[in-house]
Amino acid sequence: MKFINLLKKELVELVNKQMLLGLVIAFSILFIVGEVTNEVIEDVQSNIYNVNIVDEDDSDFSHEIIEKLKTLQGSEDEDGIKLNIIPKADLNKDNYSAVLDKHKIDSLIIIPSGFSKTILEENKTAELKTVSRMKSASALSSVSSDTSGGINLINDCIKTKIMTEKGIEAEDISVIDTPVTVSDTTVVDGKQSEISAGNIMSNMMTRNMIIPIIVFVLVIYTSQMIVNAISTEKIDKTLETLLSAPVSRTSILSSKMLAAAIVALLNAVVYMIGFSSFVKGATGSVAEGAASQTVNVGEAMKQLGLTLSAGDYVLIGLQMFLTIMISLSVSIILGAMVNDAKSAQTIIMPIMFCAMVPYMISIVADVNTLPTAIKTAVYAIPFTHTFTSMNNLMFGNYSLFYIGVGYQALLFIVCMFCAVKLFNSDKILTASLNFGQKSKFKKSNKAVSEE
Amino acid sequence: MENVLEVKGLSKQYSKVLAANDVKFEIGSGEIFALIGPNGAGKTTTIRMISTLIKPTSGDAIVAGHSVVKEPEKVRECITYLPDEAGAYKNMKGVSYLRFMAGLFTSDLNLIEEYVKRASEICKLGARLEDKIGTYSRGMIRKLLLARAVMTRPKLAILDEPTSGLDVINAIEIRKMIKELAAKEGTSFLISSHNMLEIEFVSNRVGIMAKGKLMTVGMADELKAKYNAENLEEVFERVVLENEVH
Repeated sequence: MKFINLLKKELVELVNKQMLLGLVIAFSILFIVGEVTNEVIEDVQSNIYNVNIVDEDDSDFSHEIIEKLKTLQGSEDEDGIKLNIIPKADLNKDNYSAVLDKHKIDSLIIIPSGFSKTILEENKTAELKTVSRMKSASALSSVSSDTSGGINLINDCIKTKIMTEKGIEAEDISVIDTPVTVSDTTVVDGKQSEISAGNIMSNMMTRNMIIPIIVFVLVIYTSQMIVNAISTEKIDKTLETLLSAPVSRTSILSSKMLAAAIVALLNAVVYMIGFSSFVKGATGSVAEGAASQTVNVGEAMKQLGLTLSAGDYVLIGLQMFLTIMISLSVSIILGAMVNDAKSAQTIIMPIMFCAMVPYMISIVADVNTLPTAIKTAVYAIPFTHTFTSMNNLMFGNYSLFYIGVGYQALLFIVCMFCAVKLFNSDKILTASLNFGQKSKFKKSNKAVSEE
Repeated sequence: MENVLEVKGLSKQYSKVLAANDVKFEIGSGEIFALIGPNGAGKTTTIRMISTLIKPTSGDAIVAGHSVVKEPEKVRECITYLPDEAGAYKNMKGVSYLRFMAGLFTSDLNLIEEYVKRASEICKLGARLEDKIGTYSRGMIRKLLLARAVMTRPKLAILDEPTSGLDVINAIEIRKMIKELAAKEGTSFLISSHNMLEIEFVSNRVGIMAKGKLMTVGMADELKAKYNAENLEEVFERVVLENEVH
């Protein structure tokens, strides 16, 4: 009952309006950015074969090209080009912007006068003209003004016509056009599947992005919470009142840790949903587009043994739990050293670095492929094991995973032992870490200890 | 008079400083004992040891029959402690704070509500108890904390500078309240203060500390006679100066 009372108080302290507002804002931002990115990509995908054409040549050959392009048009539900024929009367060479505005388009392909004559009679390479409107430097926004898709189609039409006229059979044309096709096979740890490694990579990236971000957020968030919870009590002198009440110090400590863990879990769930939406939006549409042209990626992942079983997820959960507990126990020790609100914000820097280094490395490289000395140093940081856990389990590096869990468990026991010892000693009231700075707290503490 | 507190040679050695040196005194039931001394005399260290916040290097203190060294949990059930310049949880409402603190002393919900009711009557904050503590003045916080310190009817209430931050009217009210609780309910008080007027008005006996030692103990009148002084302030000055000369 007393413990519940303590836990309730800690939760009330941690879950306040500012915290909830921050959480709602973070979730909304991630969700909105994900949705916007998704929409933009879909928009880009629908625009990619928008072909806006002006036929200045107005010859049989140019008509033939346009007729051929018309056959490639798709309906609203089907893939295909969207052909838009612009009357040549609308074209003003000194003001292309006017025609783009008038027809609400961002790109234009012009078949100039004399185009067919150059190709058919002079047997020379003819020139197509293109106009593209640039609206911003954003990678995705420029896709709608890209004319390369339309030009490729026109090139194909002309190529086919020339080859047919020269007596080459339709079957031969396709061989000449695409003499080589690729059949991809990816091998993972003795298992294989007929899929390109690129597709597997893009699919895994989506998942592998989430865990490190969640771990990073959790580590920083829980550390800051527990440091604040202890330092605020010390600074406001509420800790002395609490410690003189008939409750054990271990219950006070446990209630703080449990409350921080609950709030961290709440954050983890919200961030996980938010990031899933964000990552799905940012990479999902593209990955789906790529996957639709090949074998089912999900099936291939299963064949390659790159899926995680329920047991694997339990192991990842266990490791995340250990990670949070290490952060909490170290933060208790750091929180006990804090003298003022300013140092409460900066004292978690060591934990931040310990989370940031493996996080950054896990984004750009595989820790397991680093030189032994660096790999050992990186793995000495306990959080590294959490960042690499999913990869280690997927690729069957179970020994490395279990060594990590063992190392984290040992470290947690040591840190927790120190934290409990500190909390049960006079040090919780007298410890300070000031780096030579004379704070008000230290002065008053010194006076008290001398009394 | 039965003793609620018996301090038996408490000493506390910090790395270089002997903050408390063989401190001995006792407090009877319903007695108000004041510990006075200059800054750095060892008052807070002694109070912290009796409150079980820090462990003594040597010696012991027995609170209502329980040793602070061997049974700190039992001691904490009999005492309440109000630190100097103590704060309260700013995000909590006054009444929630009282309920939370009461919940640390008992699991009986009826008793918790009784404690809260008692504290509400003592602090006289009325409807403001429904407001967050962050909106309280320093004086209001002090009243709330004092009410919290006595609401559970402790055998020994330890108050470090109980009226610091209060205006004259509020300070008088608090002093009256302490005297009343001691007289009517038999609550014993260990008070530390720099305000000699307050000490003279409130306490039954006074202990003067200097450089970690308890130099003298007695009733205010006895001490005035012993040191041939007109008031407690003069007694204090003589005891401290005497200690510095030696």
